[in-house]
Amino acid sequence: MGRYVIRRLLQGLLTLFITLFLLHYLMALSVQIRGNPALLFFGGERTPDPAMLAQVERLYGLDDACYDRTGDPCLAPFVERMQNYARGDFGTTLTGNQDVGELLAIWIPNTLRLFIFATITLVTLSMILGTWAARHHGRFVDHSVRGTTILIDSVPVFLVLLAYVYIIAVPLTNWARGIWGDESFMGQLFRPSYSADYPWVTIIIPGIIVGTVGLATLTRLVRASQLENLGSDYVRTAKAKGLKRMRITVVHVVRNSMIPIVTGVGYTFAYMLSGAVLTEGVMGIPGMGRMIFQAVQRQETNLVIVGLTASAVVVITVTMIVDLLYAALDPRIRYE
Amino acid sequence: MSESLSSEAPQASLWKDAFRTMRRRPDVILAALILLFVATMAVFPTLFTDKDPTRCIGRDARQRPDTWFRGEHPLGTDGFGCDFAATIVHGTRPTIALAVTVIVFSILIGLTLGILSGYYGGWVDAIISRALDVFIVIPLMMGAILLLSLFRGRGSSGGLLETVGPPALALTLFGWMEFCRYTRAVSIETKNLDYVTAARCLGAKDRRIMFRHVLPNAVVPVTAVVPTTLGSIIVAESALAVLGVGVQPPATSWGVLLAKGTEWAGGGYIYLFGLPLVLLILTVFAFATIGDALRDALDPKLR
Repeated sequence: MGRYVIRRLLQGLLTLFITLFLLHYLMALSVQIRGNPALLFFGGERTPDPAMLAQVERLYGLDDACYDRTGDPCLAPFVERMQNYARGDFGTTLTGNQDVGELLAIWIPNTLRLFIFATITLVTLSMILGTWAARHHGRFVDHSVRGTTILIDSVPVFLVLLAYVYIIAVPLTNWARGIWGDESFMGQLFRPSYSADYPWVTIIIPGIIVGTVGLATLTRLVRASQLENLGSDYVRTAKAKGLKRMRITVVHVVRNSMIPIVTGVGYTFAYMLSGAVLTEGVMGIPGMGRMIFQAVQRQETNLVIVGLTASAVVVITVTMIVDLLYAALDPRIRYE
Repeated sequence: MSESLSSEAPQASLWKDAFRTMRRRPDVILAALILLFVATMAVFPTLFTDKDPTRCIGRDARQRPDTWFRGEHPLGTDGFGCDFAATIVHGTRPTIALAVTVIVFSILIGLTLGILSGYYGGWVDAIISRALDVFIVIPLMMGAILLLSLFRGRGSSGGLLETVGPPALALTLFGWMEFCRYTRAVSIETKNLDYVTAARCLGAKDRRIMFRHVLPNAVVPVTAVVPTTLGSIIVAESALAVLGVGVQPPATSWGVLLAKGTEWAGGGYIYLFGLPLVLLILTVFAFATIGDALRDALDPKLR
């Protein structure tokens, strides 16, 4: 077990390193092909004085000659970047000159909060629906659960969000505030945009909406693995013993069908960041997704690399936890 | 039930069985009809409209479709006076072409890399697995946004290839991993089975074993995920277009129509947003339904 964990950790670190290098190379290529973002400092169209441009390039760390040669992987700046990251220095943003490390401390918790609510929604809904469908296998309930979840999954999540923000949120907020008052939990819950004063409450609804992504897949997984268990010998024994149906479902079926479900949740977690880009954009949540998108648009090399690396760390960690959870859930699985 | 079935069709193959099960489900038939409609629209746009989507008359701008499906403009006109029915119909081809291109290339890359890494193992496997990890770590949308924004060219009004090319390339680059994983798993599982060893003893070359004996095993798991993936590619395309990095505006696709439609929907021209949206949801729903049924039909465990 210990050796397995160490091997996985090393593999994860290697993946992280390759990802970092690939991102660095991409951003370098972009500077080489699309032009130097230092020009943005002078406001787009104007041609600045060469000496001033050189000054600004030095300020942003873009003064290395390799940025003028297309295709050069820019190894020297890469090594420098790695050394800075290793020291915990994540650099500053091009616009506003803020410390990226401090900004991350604001963005990461927001995105994590979003993910927590999304994961809770996804797991709860798919467990309930999947169990329900499996118990009524082949009947009307089964078919309608499937049809509904597929339909929900077919509607792109950003369109649900747009509809929520522009159509539903304001009347709902007014209604809730009329009853419970402005400052109450319910009064803040339905707000159409994020508020820094209520960092938990205002993220619940977007979290729930993001949580519907992948609902059909996970419900399907739950249903399939429960059907497999429902037909197994130990469930028949439990039935023969005269156990209650609820007890059979919870203790014998649900628990044993957790393994594929844990995998499913692990992988959806990796995809959630994609959903976060649009969600955070629409709801105005200052989180990783929105910031990475804006950074890409503004060619903020450093911000993009730091942001995507942070998300890579999350994905690698989650996948590893999932693999380790297997052993905890199924005593037959042992890692050598 | 199952006995009478098997006596009825003694030679039934997995595919024939799957087809027979699928044919009996009403939801699958409905989904197939929707897809047929969309495919016809993509291949023969002139069957549905005789107007040119690029011929726009400013005088006729923003006509609501009061006479639904009849009259001069069956679905009204958009903000620049272009016939909206023609715009939607002609926007179908890029959308479908993009989805099909992405899936074909993703499967090709995935199958090739998957079988190479699964069959040879060793350092080939090590390299391909690392590449797999790296691409999985960067989420699809993020990767596509990154590539498309970094290397954004001028707005293209050229042919289909120029319009669809960049988003297709970006989505393919971050979409092959699922197929690769399935193929790799299948190859590892089957390469040491008796019939493969037998083929090797008979002197079959590596290439023959890979393509004749190992690869066919991967066809079933890969096919089962294709329809659902097609649906998600269409959604990804529309998301990219709404963000402004997908197919670029002089050209049309459903995503571009949605992106433009969001600006008009608030001002009372909700059909400019609603119609492409309904079409998109129906198509994705149809793909997902067929995908769901296909997985069931191809999964021997659920028989």
